Amino acid sequence: MRIFALLAAFLAAMAMSTPTFADGHLKIVDEPLELTVHMHHKRYPAYDENWPVEQEARRLTNIHLKNATIGSNTTNSGEAMNLLLASGSIPDIVGTSRIKDVVNQYGPQGAFMPLNDLIDEHAPHITAFFEKFPDIKSAMTAADGNIYYIPYLPDGKYGRAYFIRHDWLDKLGLEVPQSVDEVKSVLEAFRDQDPNGNGQQDEVPYFARQWEELIRLVTLWDGRSSGSDTYHDFYVDNGTIRHPYAGEGYREGIKNLAQWYAEGLIDPEVFTRGSSAREYLLSENLGGMTHDWFASTSGYNTTLQGKIDGFVFKAFAPPASISGARIEEHRRIPVKPDGWAIGGANSHPVETIKYFDFWFSPEGRNVVNFGVEGVHWEMQDGKAIFTDVILGSGRPVNSQLYEIGAQLHARGYYQDYGYEIQWSNSYALEGIALYDEGDYLIDQFLGVAFNEEEQAVYDKHWTSVRTYMLERQQVWILGGGDVEAEWDDYLADLDKMGLNKVLEAMQSAYNRQYGS
Amino acid sequence: MQPDAAAPSKRRWRERVEWLVDHFRAEWQIYVMLAPMIIWFIVFLYKPMYGLQIAFRDYSVFRGIAASPWVGLEHFETLFSNSQFLRAVKNTVYISALSLIFGFPVPILLALMFNEILNEFYKRTAQTIVYLPHFISTVIIAGIVITAFSPSAGIVNTVLGWFGIDSIYFLIKPEWFRPIFIGSGIWQEAGFSSIVFLAAIAGVNPSLYESAVVDGASRWQMMWRITIPSIMPTIIIMLIIRIGNLMEVGFELIILLYQPATYQTADVINTFIYRQGLQSGQYDLAAAAGFFNAVVAFILVMIANTLSKRYSRTSLW
Repeated sequence: MRIFALLAAFLAAMAMSTPTFADGHLKIVDEPLELTVHMHHKRYPAYDENWPVEQEARRLTNIHLKNATIGSNTTNSGEAMNLLLASGSIPDIVGTSRIKDVVNQYGPQGAFMPLNDLIDEHAPHITAFFEKFPDIKSAMTAADGNIYYIPYLPDGKYGRAYFIRHDWLDKLGLEVPQSVDEVKSVLEAFRDQDPNGNGQQDEVPYFARQWEELIRLVTLWDGRSSGSDTYHDFYVDNGTIRHPYAGEGYREGIKNLAQWYAEGLIDPEVFTRGSSAREYLLSENLGGMTHDWFASTSGYNTTLQGKIDGFVFKAFAPPASISGARIEEHRRIPVKPDGWAIGGANSHPVETIKYFDFWFSPEGRNVVNFGVEGVHWEMQDGKAIFTDVILGSGRPVNSQLYEIGAQLHARGYYQDYGYEIQWSNSYALEGIALYDEGDYLIDQFLGVAFNEEEQAVYDKHWTSVRTYMLERQQVWILGGGDVEAEWDDYLADLDKMGLNKVLEAMQSAYNRQYGS
Repeated sequence: MQPDAAAPSKRRWRERVEWLVDHFRAEWQIYVMLAPMIIWFIVFLYKPMYGLQIAFRDYSVFRGIAASPWVGLEHFETLFSNSQFLRAVKNTVYISALSLIFGFPVPILLALMFNEILNEFYKRTAQTIVYLPHFISTVIIAGIVITAFSPSAGIVNTVLGWFGIDSIYFLIKPEWFRPIFIGSGIWQEAGFSSIVFLAAIAGVNPSLYESAVVDGASRWQMMWRITIPSIMPTIIIMLIIRIGNLMEVGFELIILLYQPATYQTADVINTFIYRQGLQSGQYDLAAAAGFFNAVVAFILVMIANTLSKRYSRTSLW
């Protein structure tokens, strides 16, 4: 027994001190190596060597990143990127939001290094990731077949959901709407029956922080509003690239939304109220229904508790469309165009790709997702759990993480959804469970990489086509025109402006990239 | 022959240098005061002209200006086959012409009115009030305009409501965009622009008024016969400058106020450039649009200056 106990104690000590034994196995170089980095994101316009996460990575890998960010005085990462490119000297590592198009365009010109061979030879964790998600590898590949960046890869599927005032439904004796017709009658009841009880008809039945979330409702008439998590994006219909704003369902949806708008079921100021719409309309007890992010929208149940009597703003399942389909069009895209790349003049590409690979290793992934072990999180049952330092401060967890250098989207890494679950409130988790059960999400268009010819066609026509689409869209909803009557002319105009040429260019890029 | 011809020209050249040296020695302070402005012009206006050539190149930020291939007039062809660009040109001319017609006389009227106010305290207070909006940033102005014209809480619709008029969602109606934009521009700048005219009025020789008083002229007659003719050169110069800037619509305010629904009347060349160039990253095409804008503006200044020289003998050069 004694021996067993001793052995157990010894084993426990072994297990506890494993990190010290393991220390060094992540080292990439024996002597510390400095690499320069440009890192720009609107939340952190420069790389900070004092971030605890940087210090931890330095300790584990011996790679030391030195800030060489250009354009830190702007919050616009695209501008900073252009300044960097125009300066002609590219640092060893470049990380920024929306890096994909930049590296795909300027990589072939020599500004960034192709990573394919480096990854195959020196990055076992990234290779393993690609083997698991081949579609993501296709989505990252440039027109010349090279990969020029390592992306930020969000984890967790759910983004936005339909939210409604459950307490208003209860008060008016209504059920949660299950179809587009029921949504309409519920919104009418919100408009007419004074659910906030102040004696005035001041309720705003449907509102949205981004007016594009009004257009999202065309999915209730089997239309589409976007194919990805970016608004107004193309979508893939059985291998064919289409634009949502040229489809029959869209026409039907806009026709009906225009009617809803005219009847006062939609916030009359939806196009100009802007990002404070949700905060204002909920805290003034005016807003009834919206389509917004799970976590932040559920948060109002906590912040408005006690301020508005009985306030319950909960997610409900996507209502059935006119054909009976229930879809949630928005989801987190599995690969973002954000991330980092290796500068064309980097003289340590092997060390750099090994450093990139470090963040995909189990240890590196914990550091980038949660911070420093023992300070910001601790291992419990094989899972990283935040300590009180993070959870107990009462401040939003994600902004605390940015401050310590974790969860930076200008770094290529694979997010761990476990980080978000720990601070999502019960309403959000309940809603996510509801959406999980119904399996409402649809596949996303992960984007294409153009070759030079396709890029030229896209650049020449797309901005104008898009402008025209958005212009007609608003005019129709506001009642300045009749979508039914003008539809054929609209399609003819789109063709004349070059929509079909853009679609052809996209299709050829899509076929090359996703092989069909 | 040879030495005789060379000697005087050599002497003349030496005289000229000596004169220049003397001149700089005597007047150097004036040149020092001039220097910042000249440096500013070179750095911010002349040096960037080098970059104008990207309007004729297939520009790549990384390759740089000199290494990007020439494409001739391709970008101009793209522009002029784009109906949205042509619409933007039309809107620019409309908005500029309307703001010139309605906006230009206002500061002059204000200056004349301030000049007639006798109570010094009242005059200063009124001036301060009309100058103030000039110092508010454009973003705030846009916020004030959006709030004032909001259909639910805006003061404008509240007042309309008193007269039984249904509230109007002004900011999404194309027909209302120009009046709102021009009106808010006048509200913001008229007071400050009146300073120039006030200064001109202050410069009018007082003996003119004294003799007019002796001749029994009324205040009204003095304004028409003395003040306005005396400040006419200032008015003409300001008008020429305004016409030169005709193509430069204050696009920041437009970007903050416009919506796809109002593009029809609100989209001007500069907002078009912003969308194409900065948002979509087509610097070469945007440079072509800007180049066209600058050429038109240059022609307008030349015309205004020539006309002014011919009819009023007042001109910029």
